[in-house]
Amino acid sequence: MDVVLALLAGVLAAASVWLMLDRSLVRFLFGLALLGNAANLVIFASGRLTEGAPALIAKGAAAPEGDVSNALPQALILTAIVISFGLFAFALSLVHRAHKDLGTTDSETLTIAEGSDRT
Amino acid sequence: MSAAWLLFLPIALPFAGAVLAFIAGRAGDRRAPQWVNVGTTALMTLVSLLLLSAVWRDGPQAIQMGGWAAPFGITLVADILGAVMVVITALSGLAVAVYAMADIDEGRAKLGWHALYLVLLAGVTGAFLTGDLFNLYVWFEVMLIASFCLLVLGGDKAQLDGGLRYVALNLVATVMFLMAIGLLYGLTGTLNMADLHVTLKTVDAPGLVTTIAVLFLGAFGIKSAVFPLFFWLPASYHVPPVAVSAIFAALLTKVGVYALIRLFTLVFTADVDYTHGILLVIAGATMVTGVLGAAAQNQVRKILSFHIISQIGYMVMGLALYTPLALLGAVFYLVHHIIVKANLFLVGGVAKRITGSFELDRIGGLYKAKPWLAVLFLIPALSLAGIPPLSGFWAKLVLIEASLEVEAWVIAGVALVVGLLTVFSMSKIWLEAFWKPHPDGDAAVGAVALTRGETVALVAPIVLLASITVIIGLAPQPFLDLAARSAQELLAPEAYVRVVLGGLP
Amino acid sequence: MGNGTLETAAPTEARSRNRFRDGGRWMGFASAVPPALVAAWLLSLLPRVSEGRPVLWAVDWAPTLGVSLAFRIDGLALLFGLLVSGIGVVIMLYAGSYLKGHVHLGRFFLYMTAFMFSMLGLVLADDAVALFVFWELTTVTSFLLIGFTHTDPKSRRNALQALLLTGGGGLALLAGLLLMGLESGTLRLSAMDPVLIQGSALLPGIIVLVLLGCFTKSAQFPFHFWLPNAMSAPTPVSAYLHSATMVKAGIYLLARLSPTLGGDPLWVWSLTVAGALTAVIGAAWALRQTDLKQMLAWTTVMALGALTLLLAGSAPISLAAAMTFLVVHALYKATLFMVVGILDHEAGTRERDKLAGLARAMPLTAAAAVLAAFSMGGFPPFLGFIGKELKYEGALALVAAPGVAAFGLVLASAGMVAVAGMIAIDPFFGRQRKSVSARPHDPPKSMLAGPLLLAGLGLAFGLAPGVISGPLVQPAVTSVLGGPATVKLALWHGINLPLVLSIATFTLGVLFYIFRTPVVAGLNAFVGRLPMTGERAYDGWLAGLKALAAWQTRILQGGHLRVYMATTLGAVVALTLFTLFWADALALPAAGSPSLSILGVTVAVTAAAGAAIVVTTRSRLAAIGALGIVGTAVAVLFLMHGAVDVATTQFLVETLVVVLLAAALVRLPRLTQTPRRNRRARLRDGILSVGAGLTVTLVMLAVLAEPFDRRVTDFFEAAAWPEAFGRNIVNVILVDFRALDTFGEIAVVAVAGMGAYALLKGGMAVPKQPIESLILRTATRGLAALLAVFAVFMLLRGHNDPGGGFIAGLIAATGFTLLALAHGVGLARQALGGAPRIVALSGLGIALLSGLAGALAGGAPFEGLWLFLGGDPAAGDKGIPLSTVLVFDIGVFLVVVGSVLAIVFGLEEEA
Repeated sequence: MDVVLALLAGVLAAASVWLMLDRSLVRFLFGLALLGNAANLVIFASGRLTEGAPALIAKGAAAPEGDVSNALPQALILTAIVISFGLFAFALSLVHRAHKDLGTTDSETLTIAEGSDRT
Repeated sequence: MSAAWLLFLPIALPFAGAVLAFIAGRAGDRRAPQWVNVGTTALMTLVSLLLLSAVWRDGPQAIQMGGWAAPFGITLVADILGAVMVVITALSGLAVAVYAMADIDEGRAKLGWHALYLVLLAGVTGAFLTGDLFNLYVWFEVMLIASFCLLVLGGDKAQLDGGLRYVALNLVATVMFLMAIGLLYGLTGTLNMADLHVTLKTVDAPGLVTTIAVLFLGAFGIKSAVFPLFFWLPASYHVPPVAVSAIFAALLTKVGVYALIRLFTLVFTADVDYTHGILLVIAGATMVTGVLGAAAQNQVRKILSFHIISQIGYMVMGLALYTPLALLGAVFYLVHHIIVKANLFLVGGVAKRITGSFELDRIGGLYKAKPWLAVLFLIPALSLAGIPPLSGFWAKLVLIEASLEVEAWVIAGVALVVGLLTVFSMSKIWLEAFWKPHPDGDAAVGAVALTRGETVALVAPIVLLASITVIIGLAPQPFLDLAARSAQELLAPEAYVRVVLGGLP
Repeated sequence: MGNGTLETAAPTEARSRNRFRDGGRWMGFASAVPPALVAAWLLSLLPRVSEGRPVLWAVDWAPTLGVSLAFRIDGLALLFGLLVSGIGVVIMLYAGSYLKGHVHLGRFFLYMTAFMFSMLGLVLADDAVALFVFWELTTVTSFLLIGFTHTDPKSRRNALQALLLTGGGGLALLAGLLLMGLESGTLRLSAMDPVLIQGSALLPGIIVLVLLGCFTKSAQFPFHFWLPNAMSAPTPVSAYLHSATMVKAGIYLLARLSPTLGGDPLWVWSLTVAGALTAVIGAAWALRQTDLKQMLAWTTVMALGALTLLLAGSAPISLAAAMTFLVVHALYKATLFMVVGILDHEAGTRERDKLAGLARAMPLTAAAAVLAAFSMGGFPPFLGFIGKELKYEGALALVAAPGVAAFGLVLASAGMVAVAGMIAIDPFFGRQRKSVSARPHDPPKSMLAGPLLLAGLGLAFGLAPGVISGPLVQPAVTSVLGGPATVKLALWHGINLPLVLSIATFTLGVLFYIFRTPVVAGLNAFVGRLPMTGERAYDGWLAGLKALAAWQTRILQGGHLRVYMATTLGAVVALTLFTLFWADALALPAAGSPSLSILGVTVAVTAAAGAAIVVTTRSRLAAIGALGIVGTAVAVLFLMHGAVDVATTQFLVETLVVVLLAAALVRLPRLTQTPRRNRRARLRDGILSVGAGLTVTLVMLAVLAEPFDRRVTDFFEAAAWPEAFGRNIVNVILVDFRALDTFGEIAVVAVAGMGAYALLKGGMAVPKQPIESLILRTATRGLAALLAVFAVFMLLRGHNDPGGGFIAGLIAATGFTLLALAHGVGLARQALGGAPRIVALSGLGIALLSGLAGALAGGAPFEGLWLFLGGDPAAGDKGIPLSTVLVFDIGVFLVVVGSVLAIVFGLEEEA
């Protein structure tokens, strides 16, 4: 399965790069969301996969019994997911506001900060 | 104060200040957040100086967060480099916080500007003090989101446009960094940087380590704004309020450079010829493209922005050469640059207040009308250009000597020529804004009068930073000592590793 | 090039705003004091130094770099020091009157004094870096002085030109000096071992670098043109900087380094060729000028060329000639500059053809001019004559092409004779009086004293050359030679070749003077046909630089976000892929860890298909749906491999993302409104995308092929329950082992909430209509309450079972979101009981406090403090735990709720 995850991460990364290179900032956002998923898969698979037991310690036991999933990457991903969510929400709000004030979501038509010498 | 407090307070203080500033601001007092901000940064400065003195006296300091020994928990650790960076962060933070009292309007303050500012500082200090790679990512994100907000807060159109570019490109860097961490963890099973130093020696996949190193180089390269990854910087640094530009210019790229230095001395040193060879090429290209970019601009903040890039090249050059003298130069350069760059933006802001614009062809007459401002501009400007006896001179001197020492003629030549081009483009600001008469006549200079309080808030930080520049220039030895010790620690990180890993082998 | 009118206009215009008592003339007197003291002090050292005992003074400056503030006053340093300070006294006095009433007089004297001390530092320094520091300081102060009339664009341009040329040369010099330091192991100039340096493989490089510095500073061909341009400075500046001091810095350094670098053929030939060309060009160009000040500037170029030429040699006679001529030149040139300044001031112009017959009106000025001109022309019994004789003798003693050198000097000196005539005869004599101002007259004493004194010295030293030869020139020559030398100056040397050359010079010079009109016409015609001049080269270079900069910036920073993105990604992807292959890091993991499952593959394919839909669809709704599919599929993959918390969070976050996107996208333009990329862009982006995907997959596979070190996780599994009292290891990591990560993360979320809110609330708030359905409203109210309870449950159980602050926060936020959608934001706000951002930041504060608690209790920050209520240790039941860790998780909960709601409310309230 780890190979499958590696392939999937690659596919998601490729798709997200394609989207992020689009003129449409909305599609950029889509790409960003996908890229986060790709990164999470990379971290997850990097901690190596197990057959399924969650990293819990049964009542009465001092340690998990048998092989359980690697808890550390999960914690990292949790952190990363929440951070990505925060960044994504911000980026979304920014695109939204930019559309309202600048009247476009086409990055090629944004020329206020650059493109002319005047600000 | 115990090491635990010394290491934790520089991070905890700004967070506490942020919460306080925001709640105080909501509670109604208009000026409270400003004072919380100034008070917090002043305290940070104090604590960080204590931290630096402790590190200077006793060597690297570390604490294990939560009491969990490394490499299991997260370690906060300060060697000279880390401590110096925290001091300089707090100091420039304080200066800009004071400046912000007269620069940040009420609308922005109400939206939480001061809280965001303090979170930014917290993120930066966190990045300098953490000994854990993933934790470094987290601090990068803290810094990043705070910078996003500061950049677009208040939201005029240019800010939104510049903000989009900044956000888009930095988010990419962030994800790259995250992936690189995941891969390195997959290879080594650890996230602690000192532990990585040890573990990587036993990993038998040199090619893969180098590949991952290059991925990190890319991620931090974007953050540091090196060639050809710097686009986000000139696209955005000229749009926010001056205080924001100044603190960005001082700190953000430097966190990237710091991360490069940390990783490429502590972790990725297996194939120095390849990785640092790439860094050297990047350094040269960054210096040249940055300074040419500056030469092409006609707007004060755009010129200064491109200069950041060019100067980053010098720091990377120090890292790339990877000798004691070169690293000394890189560290010295970092410190010098933060002070000088923040100051130039601050002076630029005052010049704009007085003359009405950042556009060089619309302003002038400052030399005649405000000679004190001319002096305050000349000090950081000449320092940036490497003119003695100011801080930048020593920084460049060390790096050039370091490159001559190892017979790296090309980079030495580039560094020298770029120095001249820096003089050229800084003199443009001088000729246009200061010497040239104001196109609208003398009366246009100082048309909008500043109140006494505003003048103090705007000028005091500039004077403070300029004095530091002069002091470093006239009495460089203590700073060279610091940088030399730091270079020594970076090249032989045993003490750092020992204090982080404690009793572990 | 001349701009006399502009320069004089400035003081007149400024006079009305004079702030200083006495028009500031007292400042001239005051400023003359420091140089006078310095000169006196240096004179007092004269006996000691001329005995060959240099004065040393050193203090460490930057020991790490081997840099010290070391000064060493030997014969050479003393000679220069006396010139700098002595002429400084005269110039300061003169300037006080010359610029009387100028509005920036204070600045002027500040700069002049700063310049003087920099110059003194330069000639006295023994440390190479210290010397460079002063060198640069003279560059900067002279920049400020050349641009002193800064309102004139030409002044600014010329100041910049001088700055760039001398600054650029300075940088080369720095490299040269540093290399000398590296090769010889010391930065002390007096301690550098010539043998080490002459034997170095780097010697040619060192020489080129050092010469670049010296030649630019001392205006040697082809860098000579900045000097005449620098005449846009006020005349006292020209008289000081561009006659006696700054331009001599290069000459000084050539002399100083002559013992170490001299003798090498590259050195000898460079100095000979550059010096001879400069001398001839200087003389020829001087003849062409109509502006007297320009004329003097060019004769300075000539003199600098001659000095360089003489320093090429290492014969004592050449060096003696150089040192003597140095003194000669300083004396007459400063005088003549001041005379021209007086003419400018009192007769209203310095244009040659507008001045004549002024001797009667300005007798003392005329006297000074004539005296200096005699010295300049090299007439006996003036010091200039001795100087010229020596020059010829010195030139004939040169190693490289002595004949050519002497011939060049004869030509140049003949030019000097003619120029002397043009300056001393034309304006002052002749039957008809010509002047711009109606009543030309001699200036005040303070302006005349200097020129008369210096010109008089030129005569006095000529009559009694012993006064300077023994105490001044000889020690200087000794220093340059690096060994003892005897110098005797005399007017009469007997009939020898130099005398013959002298006579030839006079004849030629007088002919030049008499036939000056055709000679100048001929020269002008010649210059007109030159393919290139230094000036034009400089302009071209500057224009080229600007064009290059503009071109580069257009290419790199063209303002297209897509290009930035493509370049950034492309660079990193290309470099990583290259390294991957180059370092031979490709590898495939062994099959089956764990083995393929049909479900797993199906889910992965679904995710990939979802991504494909997002990429291809032009419908916003389909894209959002497909994104949801991808997120869900990835969550299922997590779940299949035991990551319950991650999967739960991913589901919840994915839901929120979809909700936010849906809420925001309805207000954004359709995807079809943005043009598709063209074929070329598709190809480029396609390659990039595939490259990026390939990079991720290949590096990841290579990592997976390596063995994994699980010791950190092993520790967590072993310690989670016994030491951290939690059964959900993931949660224990989040709130305890790596609580600092989580703390940073909630800071991100809190700030994101603040930022998004600020962005969304940028416009005017128009509350949206809540959903109009009674059933739905009742149902949501119930559901929201249920979710709130569920959230608290998840929060509390999180430490031992899947759950925790995040998940609970997200669930609670969903509840409030439902409320807001159904009942309007107002009610949801009420139910929340506080502004969302305050909730979020309070949560951050609480989390911080819980982290501080550990440290306050004497442990590490974020160290858990535990209190167990009613436990039964015997049964292995610790009781109900109350801990700072739980408090921390509550902080997390509050941040998540507050921030998510800040965004949701912001979106909902936004117009």
